[in-house]
Amino acid sequence: MNEFQNAKEEYDNTPIPAELSERVRAGIQEGRARHRARRGRIIRRWGATAACFAVLLAGLNLSPTIARAAAEVPVLGGLFQVLTFVDYDKTEDGIHYDVTVPQVEAEGNLAEKVNAVIQEKVDAHLAKARQDWDDYREAFFATGGTEEEWADREMDVIVDYEIKSQSETRVSFVVTFAEGWVASMQERYYYNLDLSENRDLTLRDYLGEDWVNICNASIQKQIDASVDEEGFTFFFTPEMGGFTTVDETTGFYIREDGTVVVCFPEYSIAAGAAGMPEFPIA
Amino acid sequence: MTKEETLTSFLIETQARSYRLAYSVLRSREEALDAVQTAVCRALERQDSLRDPGAVKTWFTRILMNACNDTLRQRGRVVPFPEEGPELGREDPEPADDSLTRRVDALPAEVGTVIKLRFYEELTLKEIGEVTGQNISTVKSRLYAGLKKLRVAMEGAEI
Repeated sequence: MNEFQNAKEEYDNTPIPAELSERVRAGIQEGRARHRARRGRIIRRWGATAACFAVLLAGLNLSPTIARAAAEVPVLGGLFQVLTFVDYDKTEDGIHYDVTVPQVEAEGNLAEKVNAVIQEKVDAHLAKARQDWDDYREAFFATGGTEEEWADREMDVIVDYEIKSQSETRVSFVVTFAEGWVASMQERYYYNLDLSENRDLTLRDYLGEDWVNICNASIQKQIDASVDEEGFTFFFTPEMGGFTTVDETTGFYIREDGTVVVCFPEYSIAAGAAGMPEFPIA
Repeated sequence: MTKEETLTSFLIETQARSYRLAYSVLRSREEALDAVQTAVCRALERQDSLRDPGAVKTWFTRILMNACNDTLRQRGRVVPFPEEGPELGREDPEPADDSLTRRVDALPAEVGTVIKLRFYEELTLKEIGEVTGQNISTVKSRLYAGLKKLRVAMEGAEI
């Protein structure tokens, strides 16, 4: 048994990396967020269904009270509507699809263009997810995995949207694509539309000619403020590929209170633990 | 405490144990850190599937072992990045060639896992069955097969 005691001792003395607790904390944060997102989606779907009914009711020109109530449903109002176009939750060949695709309905060709772009992204995302899953399955069996072990494996594919704000003529919403199994990836696309002017809105529209400097100053200030007493921050330095400047491709949305919020993809300017960094621009 | 809080403090309190176990399977510091982070994230995401809070240890160990197995399978199609620099070796100690640790690592994965869980983590055979999803007689036969391969004298040892 002496040998086993040595082996166990060696095992118990495995050096623990200093960043373990940081990584565990990051896992906890992300796991909690995903758990909430799972629940949230279910609630939101019911909301969208209610909104669809409301469209029918309003279209029937019922009493003013009902018409007003319909207008209060957040996805309705003004010159346009954002409706749930495709909505399904199913499992097929080990892939669990949870797909909710928005569609903008309005006069003019902007809505049409936006819908086409979203649909293209959805198609590409689903195709890539299927390919990834097939590759994984192939590797699984090629390396000696058995049918029995494979059985309860599942990959999540999620497409979802959230309307951040809207007014009579403008809407700001974000579409999220996620794929999760061994690792997970998430992509977000931001849409800010003016349906009366039939065009995409830019940061310049909200912040004026000096938008680059305004954003950069505000973001840098928030990054600097994130450094804790021990000098630690999730954000990379510019030398490490961290934040340098915003440009035309930088994503953003408009909050209910009108605040512009600038967003960056996961890993782009900060460690994965920071998620997708967002900066309200004061 | 809510279920989420209980689970969170469990994950924090047992993080060193989780890392050791992941490291014993993967023998790579970076991959073990990734596996622990992935498992912690999945555990919270799927916390609703933990029906009996008393079984949290085996429930989470199962998630962790699955994350490690996924990593092992991924290696099959990923060319390992050559590790360079003096820093990397420090927390990636290589066991001596003829040591028992090395021989346990060389066992087929399903046998090695049973040995590690039994003797390093000191789980009961029943718990090992819950972690690996096998019935107790499979666990037993793998344990004996492993011990036989290791040619370890087991006089007086409790199995």
